[in-house]
Amino acid sequence: MEVEFSKENFLLPEMKYEYLDHTADVQLHGWGSTLQEAFEQCGVAMFGYMTELDYVSVESCYEIEAKGDDIEGLLFHFLDELLFLFSAEPFLVCKKLEITKFDLDNFEIVCRCYGEPFELGKHPQGTEVKAITYSAMQVVQDVEHSHYEVFVIIDI
Amino acid sequence: MVVRPYVEELKYLEKINDHCWRIKKGFQPNMNVEGVFYVNSRLEKLMLEELKNSCRPGAVGGFLPGVKQIANVAALPGIVGRSIGLPDIHSGYGFAIGNMAAFDMDDPLSVVSPGGVGFDINCGVRLLRTNLYEKDVQPVKEQLAQSLFDHIPVGVGSKGIIPMNARDLEEALEMGMDWSLREGYVWAEDKEHCEEYGRMLSADPAKVSMRAKKRGLPQLGTLGAGNHYAEIQVVDEIYDKWSASKMGIEEKGQVVVMIHSGSRGFGHQVATDALVQMEKAMKRDKIETNDRQLACARINSVEGQDYLKAMAAAANFAWVNRSSMTFLTRQAFAKMFNTTPDDLDMHVIYDVSHNIAKVENHIVDGRERKLLVHRKGSTRAFPPHHPLIPVDYQLTGQPVLVGGTMGTCSYVLTGTERGMQETFGSTCHGAGRALSRAKSRRNLDYKEVLDKLEQIGIAIRVASPKLVMEEAPEAYKDVTDVVDTCHAAGISKKCIKMRPIAVIKG
Repeated sequence: MEVEFSKENFLLPEMKYEYLDHTADVQLHGWGSTLQEAFEQCGVAMFGYMTELDYVSVESCYEIEAKGDDIEGLLFHFLDELLFLFSAEPFLVCKKLEITKFDLDNFEIVCRCYGEPFELGKHPQGTEVKAITYSAMQVVQDVEHSHYEVFVIIDI
Repeated sequence: MVVRPYVEELKYLEKINDHCWRIKKGFQPNMNVEGVFYVNSRLEKLMLEELKNSCRPGAVGGFLPGVKQIANVAALPGIVGRSIGLPDIHSGYGFAIGNMAAFDMDDPLSVVSPGGVGFDINCGVRLLRTNLYEKDVQPVKEQLAQSLFDHIPVGVGSKGIIPMNARDLEEALEMGMDWSLREGYVWAEDKEHCEEYGRMLSADPAKVSMRAKKRGLPQLGTLGAGNHYAEIQVVDEIYDKWSASKMGIEEKGQVVVMIHSGSRGFGHQVATDALVQMEKAMKRDKIETNDRQLACARINSVEGQDYLKAMAAAANFAWVNRSSMTFLTRQAFAKMFNTTPDDLDMHVIYDVSHNIAKVENHIVDGRERKLLVHRKGSTRAFPPHHPLIPVDYQLTGQPVLVGGTMGTCSYVLTGTERGMQETFGSTCHGAGRALSRAKSRRNLDYKEVLDKLEQIGIAIRVASPKLVMEEAPEAYKDVTDVVDTCHAAGISKKCIKMRPIAVIKG
């Protein structure tokens, strides 16, 4: 669902993600000082694999919802929603994600996704993401040091 | 997973002959049958190295080596014969890529597993012949490559140009290549040279989620990215002159076009949806597997049946997809040579599916049984006289199309009786990855890879520069090793070798 947003005081988050080795696929590694941030970073990492985010400007904002049965399921469905946002109308590439509701009791997420529709010629083509997998998925929560990490293998 | 020291692990593996190894029961827990894999001395090293690397007790974040995955599949309920690894095997999601397994349809406990088909349902290879020779194409190679690249939408975010609305999609999902034929995109005889005649009758679009259809609609008639490609190839060697002539390949230098693509986002979403459903079914039916990724459901359960019907719809999508690109390829050639596809004799030699599950009859322990055969990164290779192969190939055996990697060669093989007995009529599908994508990108240089291809006379058009490194020949096993192993083991027979002169990639 498209929602209103203001370009004033709009800040892009710093990059807290990387891509790790896997024979046929690629592993996304996102981190942050909250679990929410680690999720957001992991989502942006996925878009970063599909195109080069430097070429993406923030023109519109869509809101998505995701639900799961446990924390891994929530991460899986969160990324699956983002992949769908890219794969069909509005074909959105996101440069920034902002989770506005992060309910770990009922495993629900509401997220604002900032970016613009993918456009050939403007956005370089990266690699296509086929699917999100549970393969070697890890959610690391170090509450004491406020350090959170997620690892997800995407099928490409 | 059982983690033992490497020397202990080796006790469960036995080399039967120069190109075949046995995996004994006990290698992984609860194995119902034994495993087997086909490798020559070079591929054997890669296989065992992967196993050795995983034998580090206490290591986290790693992935299962292919040989362990074969054994985990051998532990699934209802499996018959052996869990089989083909020479191009490498670690994949649940099932290794290059793993095939058959399940007894009459055993109520038997399962179907989306991981045994793969995310790209009915990913496959199609080969078109032409009556052109290398000397006709060389002078216009670059223009022809560009024209193909302009005709076929490739890479991330590209959209199909075949006009299509939601209703057309429903029909295409149900009808497969019959839809393409009705709409005038293919020739009637194309269907004859496809597995299942380009249409799985069990398809039910009603079992497919809205989400899958929305992902599929804009992508119909697109090549995709990753290892998918369209290549103009030249016949480099003919091993079996008689069989080759049955396929319309007369001599060296003849030009053919190979298209490697699948069911795009549609199939990926069907697989994702099924995995989510099956996790629930497994809990309910108390199905135990060695690996969470081997999500499966009983064939006779609602989830199992729904998946098979949705999978068949995705298979139909893939055939329509390859057919649409066949149409575009014929147009590109006809325009370039100022003639018609007909006069260029651009017939489909064959079209194979290398990510699919099918109901087939096989002889097991001297008795004919109805089996659900999973082939993931494995190609069907039926022998001569098999009732399911077209009349034109009744005497040669089914053509098997094995795609190489960017810049290396590709092969046409034929099915054998021995393959029917040993591997449920299955053989390899391609080269198989050896280097990870990230490692390829770190170790290989974009320009170097392109220069190398240019030096050996290959015109290349690629949408994503990153992909050039990931898909470089160095990142893969040697396809010739893979094919030679299948030939030596007798599970398929070498017929034709082709080398590329132009490559179109995502």
